[in-house]
Amino acid sequence: MTNPLTILDETYRVAWGDLCYLRGNVVEVLLTGLVGPILYLLAFGYGLGGSMEGGSSEYLAFIIPGIISLATLSGTFSTVAMKILVQRLFYMSFDELLLCPVHITSVILGKTLSGVIRAVVCCTVIMGLGCILSPSVEFSLGAMGVVVLASLTFSLFGLLAGMVTNKTQKLSLFTSIVIVPMTFLCGTLFNVSALPAFAAYVVYLLPLTHVSQLVRGFMLDTGIPLDSVAILLAYTALFFGLCYWMIKTHRC
Amino acid sequence: MCDGVPDDIVEVRDLVVRFGDFTAVDGISFDVRRGEIFGFLGPNGAGKTTTIRTVTTIQKPTSGSVTIDGHDTEDDYIAARSCIGIAQQHISLDKDLTVRQNLRHHAMLHKIPRSEMTERIESTASILELGDYMDRRIENLSGGWKRKASIICSIIHEPSVLFLDEPTAGLDTRSRHMLWDLVRMLNRRGTTIFLTTHYIEEAESLCDRVAIINRGRLVAMGTVDELRAMVGNVTVDVTDHEGRVTKHHFPDREAARGYTEGLDFFFNVRRTTLEDVFLELTGEGGLA
Ligand SMILES: Nc1ncnc2c1ncn2[C@@H]1O[C@H](COP(=O)(O)OP(=O)(O)OP(=O)(O)O)[C@@H](O)[C@H]1O
Ligand SMILES: [Mg+2]
Repeated sequence: MTNPLTILDETYRVAWGDLCYLRGNVVEVLLTGLVGPILYLLAFGYGLGGSMEGGSSEYLAFIIPGIISLATLSGTFSTVAMKILVQRLFYMSFDELLLCPVHITSVILGKTLSGVIRAVVCCTVIMGLGCILSPSVEFSLGAMGVVVLASLTFSLFGLLAGMVTNKTQKLSLFTSIVIVPMTFLCGTLFNVSALPAFAAYVVYLLPLTHVSQLVRGFMLDTGIPLDSVAILLAYTALFFGLCYWMIKTHRC
Repeated sequence: MCDGVPDDIVEVRDLVVRFGDFTAVDGISFDVRRGEIFGFLGPNGAGKTTTIRTVTTIQKPTSGSVTIDGHDTEDDYIAARSCIGIAQQHISLDKDLTVRQNLRHHAMLHKIPRSEMTERIESTASILELGDYMDRRIENLSGGWKRKASIICSIIHEPSVLFLDEPTAGLDTRSRHMLWDLVRMLNRRGTTIFLTTHYIEEAESLCDRVAIINRGRLVAMGTVDELRAMVGNVTVDVTDHEGRVTKHHFPDREAARGYTEGLDFFFNVRRTTLEDVFLELTGEGGLA
């Protein structure tokens, strides 16, 4: 068993290069991460919600946790995947990372760290904004915990996608057929129970559904579904395991 | 194994690398001795880069085995990797970062102690006079400076075996001389060097031993003198009436004299060079 402190130290060493980039481009990075969620907030929260009967405030309270959940996916997956793809295929610096005497776990965590940081910062901003805009929304440490876990899960998913694909076009294809539908269907913008039974069943299996269940549970104080915790953790373990296996068996 | 230090620092056995149904490396075996400068020559597409990438564990072999300093690269890759430095043919630096950031990142990944880090980075970079370029981003450097940065990166952790894939490609004359000095200096300090190059004279002057590969197969290996003897120590260039030059190789001057006697063309008798050997072994009618 490796000392967890060693892993932490190595994770920082691996992440250092990406963190340098993050530090040098803070404004750009945060702006690209925030524009999407804020547009959702305006378009759906006020635009759509405002046209609803009974006014927008209830829908706004519903949608803010949804947008935060959505930001854990949109802020991590594509940037992490694209960064890995570029470092693998165009910079070829990923190859040499694998040559360094650090543990595979550290490589995986290090490569997801900048994605996690970015998503967590964006989500904090949106959560703060949400608390100002809607009185029934509360800032919640529990929700922040979910945000961290979800950002890690989706960053791992991005890392996996970046290691599996060999063309940028394939990555875009993957984004349009997996990530975009997930963004809209997983209880982020409307309640999953509104879906036809079969679709609801499929959606129940997707990780983002459980992120929104949990974030909403914490922020609106409506109870924490334990099955969601279990499913989300299972996805984290699955993506981590697949990344580990890919690197260990030299498949990237 | 009775002592911990084997004579051969790199051992390659029956290495095969396939991409789909194309065989890039076709069953090669060789050893690199501790402390030598080993040259790996071959025409474009011969499989040099593929071999280097496989030996350094970047690429997975289809079959065969590689040991580095006694560590199998399959079973014991962490130990094997800790001995390696590599400057790849395709520059593999992070282009979003500056030269200094790349060097520091590399040093951090190799766990160079914090207290030595800055001093180590500056002094290593100064060997190839990178000083003025340290704060430029890699993407804004010219090809030669990128290569120099990547070479410095590959030696910052003082590897015991250094792989240089075409280190002088794209370097100007002065930089090339600086690189040769660097290679010799590292070698004097005990670093084993494995290098590929298309400049055969460079290999001839730098390398203790040379291997020549063609189409994924090893066609010759030995010291420059041994290789020369393989095709013949003496070469006669014969220029016919139309100005075409053909080369003929002979084991010694005696044999060459026998051939040139009564020859009706201009000719030039000289010592065989490594380039002659290379052309003979990798050409159309070569031994391959
Ligand atoms: N990833 C890959 N997929 C398919 N074929 C490849 C791949 N990498 C290399 N090859 C093929 O393997 C052969 C050997 O390539 P390699 O790069 O090892 O040659 P080389 O000896 O280094 O040539 P050069 O002197 O041009 O650098 C070439 O025919 C090349 O097209
Ligand atoms: Mg090559």
